[in-house]
Order: sequence, then structure tokens, then C-alpha cells
Amino acid sequence: MAVDVLIPPLGQTVDTMTLVNWYKKEGEEVIKGEPLFVIETDKANLDIEAPASGTLCLISARDGDEVKVLSKVALIRLAGEKLPESSLPPTDIPVASQESANSIIVNNASLLDRPKRILISPRARILAEKEELSLDDLGVFSDGKPIDERLVRSYMRQPQKIHQDISVPAISPLARKIAESTGLDWKKMTGTGTASRIMREDVERVLKNKQSLAENASIPSSLTVGDTILLHGAREVIATRMVQSHTQTAPVTLSSEVDATAFVDLRAQFIKEGIHISYNDLLLYLLGRVLRQYPQLNASLIGQEIKIWQEINIGLAVDTDRGLLVPVLCNVDQKGLTQIALETRQLSERCRNGMCTPEEMKAGTFTLTNLGMYNVDVFSPIINLPQTAILGVGRIKKMPYAFEDTIALRYILWLSLTFDHRLVDGAPAARFLQRVMQMIERPYLLMV
Amino acid sequence: MPKMTIAEALRQGIREEMQRDKCVFCLGEDIGVPGGFGGAFTVTLGLSDEFGHERILDTPISEIGIAGVAIGAAMAGMRPIADVQYGDFLFCMMDQLANQAAKMTYMSAGTVKVPMVMRAPVGATGRGSQHAQSLEAFFTHIPGLKVLAPSTAYDAKGLLKSAVRDDNPVLIFEHKLLYGSKGGRAEKGALSPVGFVPEEEYLVPIGKGIVRREGKDVTIVGKLLTVYRALEAADQLAQIGIEAEVIDPRTLIPLDKELIYESVRKTGRLVLVEEDNLTNGWAAELAALAVDECFYWLDAPVKRVSAPDTPVPFAPPMEKFYVPSVQRIIEVVKSIF
Amino acid sequence: MAEPIEVLGNGKMLSMYRTMFMIRRFEDRVNELYMQGQIPSTLHLYVGQEAVAVGVCANLDKDDYITSTHRPHGHAIAKGVSIKSIMAELYGKKTGCCQGKGGSMHVGDIQVGMFPAIAIVGANIPITAGAALACKFIHPGKVAVSFFGDGASNEGAFHEGLNMAAIWNLPAVFVCENNLYAASTPFTTTFKIKDVSERAAAYGMLGEIVDGNDVIAVYNAAKKATERARAGQGPTLLECKTYRQCGHSRSDPRGYRTKEEEAEWIKRDPILLLAERLLSEGNETSEDIKRIEDQVNVDIEGAIVFAKESPDTEPSDTLQHVYYG
Repeated sequence: MAVDVLIPPLGQTVDTMTLVNWYKKEGEEVIKGEPLFVIETDKANLDIEAPASGTLCLISARDGDEVKVLSKVALIRLAGEKLPESSLPPTDIPVASQESANSIIVNNASLLDRPKRILISPRARILAEKEELSLDDLGVFSDGKPIDERLVRSYMRQPQKIHQDISVPAISPLARKIAESTGLDWKKMTGTGTASRIMREDVERVLKNKQSLAENASIPSSLTVGDTILLHGAREVIATRMVQSHTQTAPVTLSSEVDATAFVDLRAQFIKEGIHISYNDLLLYLLGRVLRQYPQLNASLIGQEIKIWQEINIGLAVDTDRGLLVPVLCNVDQKGLTQIALETRQLSERCRNGMCTPEEMKAGTFTLTNLGMYNVDVFSPIINLPQTAILGVGRIKKMPYAFEDTIALRYILWLSLTFDHRLVDGAPAARFLQRVMQMIERPYLLMV
Repeated sequence: MPKMTIAEALRQGIREEMQRDKCVFCLGEDIGVPGGFGGAFTVTLGLSDEFGHERILDTPISEIGIAGVAIGAAMAGMRPIADVQYGDFLFCMMDQLANQAAKMTYMSAGTVKVPMVMRAPVGATGRGSQHAQSLEAFFTHIPGLKVLAPSTAYDAKGLLKSAVRDDNPVLIFEHKLLYGSKGGRAEKGALSPVGFVPEEEYLVPIGKGIVRREGKDVTIVGKLLTVYRALEAADQLAQIGIEAEVIDPRTLIPLDKELIYESVRKTGRLVLVEEDNLTNGWAAELAALAVDECFYWLDAPVKRVSAPDTPVPFAPPMEKFYVPSVQRIIEVVKSIF
Repeated sequence: MAEPIEVLGNGKMLSMYRTMFMIRRFEDRVNELYMQGQIPSTLHLYVGQEAVAVGVCANLDKDDYITSTHRPHGHAIAKGVSIKSIMAELYGKKTGCCQGKGGSMHVGDIQVGMFPAIAIVGANIPITAGAALACKFIHPGKVAVSFFGDGASNEGAFHEGLNMAAIWNLPAVFVCENNLYAASTPFTTTFKIKDVSERAAAYGMLGEIVDGNDVIAVYNAAKKATERARAGQGPTLLECKTYRQCGHSRSDPRGYRTKEEEAEWIKRDPILLLAERLLSEGNETSEDIKRIEDQVNVDIEGAIVFAKESPDTEPSDTLQHVYYG
């Protein structure tokens, strides 16, 4: 059997990606595990490896094409197999040879291999579109039988049984997709569809209202556009996530000044010992330990439940050419400082080169963001959903400071903790911040 | 209100029109012979006594002549009603109908009219291949002809009267099993639908169909005998929860398309029932129209219940197989649910 | 034929001459125009048979009906359809007698009692019987006349139409223009009998034979036939022996007949014959005849100009007139 080359599901918010370019050509021999092409997801560029060894053929997506998750973009012909050279229809009339006869047979076979088309009557299609139902869902529901209006109606009755959770309104998949991609909190909406189902129209209406408010507020007509940048790829995801966070959380930012002199000294000691450790590494190490003690800050609000996570996976905001990326360092509380330092360096590097896998950016439970290098002191970081809190770190500034009843030159640092008040109240958040400050002021406490 | 068979209703319609207009006359084989049968199916029985043999004109067995004379008389100001003994004989006069009657108005740029009526019995009734065909579709394919297919006594009289007054050649197809002819001309297995027919003047307009039974799940369109088969099928389908709407177009040309479209848009399903054979048929045309105009309302493939592409057989088991049965209609309807 | 001058009078003779010459001139000009590519249709010309149409129609009123064939120009002109409207029809113009819907083979004008010509051979015969039936019922005294060729006499429609006209004693005249060839097939190939008129007996109908190139003979025979018809004495089959001087249609090289035969018939050209008689037996001079011919020429050229200058049909006209009203 030939092996299909598929676009892997990369667990992101979009189901289409860009095939950036092929490394291999049609007809070329490939070895299993060898990179075949590079794909750009919303977060990263990723090499896709050959799933088998053989000859690459039937390439159906070109460089720059948008490709769907799980779509077939090529075939690897195993040694000894006879397969057509191209999926394109032959431009010449095939010569009546043994070989072309074989090709035709295989061609038919590959036609049969294609994913089954969902059969739906025109009337049912119109109803499904009106009700914004997904054809794929209907296809699963119909179990391969042609879908007619009756089936669509029974499908519409059926999912509502599952959705008896009254607190979450019913929403069409399309409306949900739009709402979530734009960060709209549909859970608070009431729809105009059947049984108050939220429909695309409802979402669009709310969005339009929002947009016109925003437009009225922010674009003076006297301005001329110098350059227009399309909201695309990572930028688009950032925009969505930020708005989502902004509209769906109840963020509160606490800011505190902390004397980081000992902390700076500690790092200097390490450097002197030849152990290359950054402030971020130290902060990650420290946060891993403190979060263990304050699990409420290492949690997510999922539906009506607060999930306290076992793992402490801290995302580290990294500035790249492609925009803000947040690779995640997993199980920070269980890792030593040098390991943290090593992994962080690798992660950041890969991120800047666009080589971070989506896996490496998922599954964060807390985020650390550092703007010290840009001389920022205090800011209000934005929560990286579905996390509960984010710690913003400002610059470490040498300044005169009240120290032990005198004025001394000390290294001062501002910390800004934004937390989601839906999950955590002000006092526990403040206590967490206090604990972090203590650790920075007296890093020896880390030994305890 | 008197109850009449279709044969009686047609006779009454002819009588009224002949009384109303002296230009109306009948011609055909065996229609007025004293002691004869008043046409093969008794429609003109007794009329020669009332109107004389000049206006109930017995012709030689000359189908070309019957058609030609009707056309010539119509063009010269009369309103003939020609009786074709069996619809199958229309083929004998095909030139007169297709080349002459249908084209005179057109070729004369609307200055000549051919106000003639031609009545032709159709349907398989144990007579083998040459006295059994359902020829409606042939004539719906000839621009210039109007084609009617009354299935009830009320419509038979009302449509005949409209046809006589129409200024175009009109073919009226009548089903042998629906005449309700009595005595020696009675058909074996006839449905003999008897209906109330008003004594007062009324017309059924050409080009208006009728919903014979309302339903929400599937539209069944039949004509002549198959209207009754469809109605019977609908009753049985109702017992398994399928409510069929049965439409009788009554006029095949011009067709009341909107009535059919409206129903299909409601039910989303269309089944066409005809006694004619399948290929390139009337049902095929209606299916094309429905797909063209109602595609987005369709919820299932459009289905045809037609006779097979064979001549009409003679022996009863074969004829029974040939003519669409209630059971076949039910099976086809069920197949799209 | 000793009586024409007295019976007909000069006026009628000259009128018939004028019509025959008009048909001839019309066909000749139409042929030229066709050769120049000006007329889009094919043509079946009436050259040589003019005496039949003219001799018969000279007996008809506007309200009498005629039916014609694929070779109808002569019948139309003789029955009084305007040459302008016939010419425009050949040009396919909106001002044509059928507004461009008929063409050469279907010219006619119900206003002068001519149905659109019927180009299916023999099909007009039962229709004529029908029109005669209507005459009998609702237009007493009127007559219906059918023109057809020897070829049509072998159609079933001929048999059915004549039989019905006979049994019902209809006021019809069936004029068979026996021009010896059904398209290219010689008469003797398809007839066992010598004359088509023999068939009349089979229907109990009067059959007559007349020299179809002698317009006065045709006129007199048709006069008797129409009078009988109008008087309710039944139909007549009138066989006119004549000759088509041209081919069957424009693409006919006439290889099936001899030049000698053609020459013989041209010697007996019906227009020539009438002119000779007008000069020998009447008071007419060649100047009188010339004057008639000149006027006809002017009229025909006028018809050509009219046709050429008339508006074309609109494509959308196609959709009109399928049904009456």
C-alpha cells in the first residue's frame, strides 16, 4: 500500500494552514522521518516528516497553498509499487500500454479512497445552512445515509437534549466559531434562532455594534493610512486571544516594588561561577516553587468549574519577528535551575526562528512576561487564557532606596500581577505576590 | 345536481355547446349511426337524434380525412369536435395534427385560427398494443396544440366546453377506464367515477390544475387514471404516516406549473405517475421542470412511476405489470423516505 | 374553344393575361434575386403552369377558399394576395404576408381566402374538404378549391379527402396540375392509369381533363366546376395537363427529362398561347399587351423595392403566434 502524506492536526484554533514550501519534489525518493515540507500554523513554522520511505508522488498542494487539517497532499509510493506520476489529469491521451492501463486502475482506486462526500438534499442543505449546522456533524449523525430535511430536524432536536445545561445557551457551530475567533463571550448572549439558539446573525450583530463603537471612537477621518498590515497568522491569533482575555476575564492588576539587590547578587554569583543564568530563569525557578504553595493561581475556569492543575507549566512571553509568542516550560517546579536555563534558551531560540511546535506553546498554566529590557517599570499584563494569572516583571533599576534606616543604592524591581478575579480574590492574589517578593528580596528562602 | 359518468358529462357538454353555437359539430367514426353505439365509448350516443346527421357527422374510416376536414372546417369558421375512436389512431393523422393544425396560426402570423377539438381515448384495457397507448406526451411536444386530460365528470364537461370555445386546436385525452360507459360498451375493470355535474353553465379553465388531496410530505402528480391510483396510494401511505398531496394538472398544455411548484416547495418530494412509457416522457419533462424551478426545495430525488419501455402487452398479468399500480406508487414513495 | 371572346369579353381576357404575365415575371425576377443571394429560402417556381392558377381563380371571389402547395406563388398572385406582401415574405420581412413566419412555401392571406400554403404534399386536400364543409354549413354559395400536383394524387390524403368531399357532396374543386413529374419521378412511373381524373369515378365524383396551358380552357372548365359546387351539386376533380418549365426547386438540373420535351412544351407556353389569341381573335394590339407588361414590370420592381426596404423580423418575434389570440 502507498502511504498518504497528510496535514497533521496541530491542535490550534484554525483548521487550515499554509504549506510554506516543499523540501522534496514529485518523484523524489524520501526516507521515513525526513522533512517533506514546512507548514505555517497560527503559531509556528513546522517541518512535516515523511511517514514512510519511498517515492513521493501525487503532490496535490503547491508551495503557498492553504491546506486543511487531515487533507492529503501527497502519496509515498513504496518500493516496487506502480503508481501514477501525477494526480493532475493527463494532458495527453494515454498510450494503450500495460503501464498506462495499470495507471488507470490505480487512479480509480485512488478516487475510491477519497473521503466520502456527504450526501444532502438541496432542501436539507438550505435548512442546515439556515440553522448553521455543520455538514460534518450531520454526516456523522446520518451515519452515511443521504441527509434530508427530516434528518436535519431530528438532529436539531437531539443536540438540545445533550445541551440541557441551562446556564450555557445553545449556539450554532458557525456562530460559535465566529464568536470564539473574535473573542466574543457568547455564553452571555441570547439568540434569535429556534429555542433562543444563538445564530451567526446574532454574533455578527453584536460584533458589528462593537466594531462601530470602536470605529466611531478611534479613527479620526483626518488620518491617512501609511501602511496596512493584514491581521494574519500569529498576529491574528494574538489579536483574538487578547480580546478574548480582555472581554472574558475579570482582570485585576496588583503592582508592588521590591528590593531585588540580593536577587541581583545571586545571579552575579552564578555568573561568576560560570553558570549562565538569566533573571527569567531565576524567576521561573522561583515561580515554580511559589505556585506550588498558591495553587489557586495555577488554575483555569472551565465552564462552571475551576480546575486546579497538577502541573506547573509556565509560559514565557517571547518577542519574535512574528509577534509575541509564549513557549511553555513544563513542570517548572520539578526542574533544577540549570535545566530551566537550558530549556528556556532552547525554547526562546526555536521560537524566534519560528520552529516552536504548537505543542510547546500549549498547556501553560501560568505566564511570566518580562519587559525589563525595554526599561518598563510597571504595566498591566493581560491574562493568557485559560490561565488565571500572569506576572509582569519590570526593569531592575539601581536607585536610592530606604534600606535599614538609611538611604542606600539598591536594585529595585516592580512586579505587576494580573489575575482573573472570577477565580481568585484580591487577598490571596496579593499574598501570592507578597510571597514572590519575599523570595526576590531574600532568595535564600528558595533553599527552604 | 345530477350525478354523471365522464361519458355522460362529455355528452352533456357537447350538447350544450351545439345548442349554443350552430358552428359546433361533431365528426368521427361510428358516432351517429342509427342503431350504433354513439362512438366507441357512447359519448355521442343519441346526439344525432337531437342534432341530425349533418351535425353528428359519421365519417369513413379515414383518420387523415377526419383531421383534415376538422382543420379545414375550423379555419373556415366552424368549431368541429372530432372523435378519434382510439387514441392510437392519432398516429394515422399525425401530419394533419403536427404539421397542419399546430402550425397554421404560426405560419400565418396569427391571422388564421384553427378552433377544433379532438377527443381521443387512451389507456391500456385489454386490447393489446394498438388500442392501448397513452399518447398525451407526444402531443405535449408539439407547439401550437393544447392538450387536456380530464379525470372527473365535472372537469370533462367543463374542459370540453372551454376547448370548444378556444381558438386553437385542442386535444382532449380521455381514459377508457374512466368513461363509465354503460351497456355493451362498458369496460372491464373500469373505475366508473361518477361525479356531480352542475346543470347550469360552467367552464373549467384550460391551464388550471387542481389539488385532489392535500398533504405535506410528498407531491404526487398523476393524470387521468393515475390520478386515481395516486389517490389510492396516498390513502395507504397515510396509514404509515406519509401524507401525500395529489395533483391533477387536468391540462397538460398549457401546464399549471405554479401549482406543482408550490406543492413541491411545500413537500420537498415529487413523484410523477404516468401510464405512458418512461423514456423521454411527460413525467421526465415535469421532473426537469421541478428540478429547474424547485431544486433548492427538493429533499429527495424526483421519481417517476411509468410504464416500462415496451409496447402495451395484451395478457392480463402482463398488462397489470405494465400499468403503474397503487403498490408501485407506494413503493416508489417509500423509497424516498 | 371557339367561344372565349364572346363569353369572356376583352376585359377578362386582358385581366387574365395580366395576372399570368405577373406570375411569370414575378417568378423570373425571384429566380434572379435568388441567384444573387438576396432571397434566403429555396424556391419552387410556377413557370409554365400559370394558366391553371389564373384560369381557376378567375372564377373565384375573395370569400372563396383556396389551399395551395409548396409551389404557391402563382396561386397566391392569382387569388389576389398582394405581390408586395409575397415578395416581402420571400425576403423574410416583417411586412410579408406571413410576417416572415411562412416563407416561400407557406405564402397565403386569409383576407383574400387563401390559407397558408401547405407544403406537405397532399395534406391540403382533406383540409379543402373541411373548408368546403364549412362553406356548405355556414357560407352557402361559397366554394373551396384545392391545387395540388400529380404527385399528391398518390397520397392517402388525396383519397380520404376526395372520398369525404364526394360522400358529403361538398362544394369543392380539386385541381390537379399534372405537370408530368412528381419532383423528378415521371408520371408513368407512379400511375398505372393514363389520367388522374380517372380516379374521380372511384369516388363517384365528376372528373374532367383540360389543357392546362390553355387558360381559357381552364377557365371554362373551372367555371363549370365551381358553378356545380356552388349549386350544391358536389365536387369535381379537374385535371389540368401542364408542364413545369423550370426545375422542381432551385437546385434541380432537370436531368430526368429531355431538352426536346422541354422545348415542345415551351412552344406551347400558356402566356404565349394567350397573347397569340388576344392578337388574333381580339381587338388587342401588341402595344396594348406591351403596355400591360410594362405596368406589371413596374409593379414587380416596386414590390422588390418594398421588400428590400421593409424591416427585418425581430428574433423575439419567433415566440409570437404559436397560439391564436
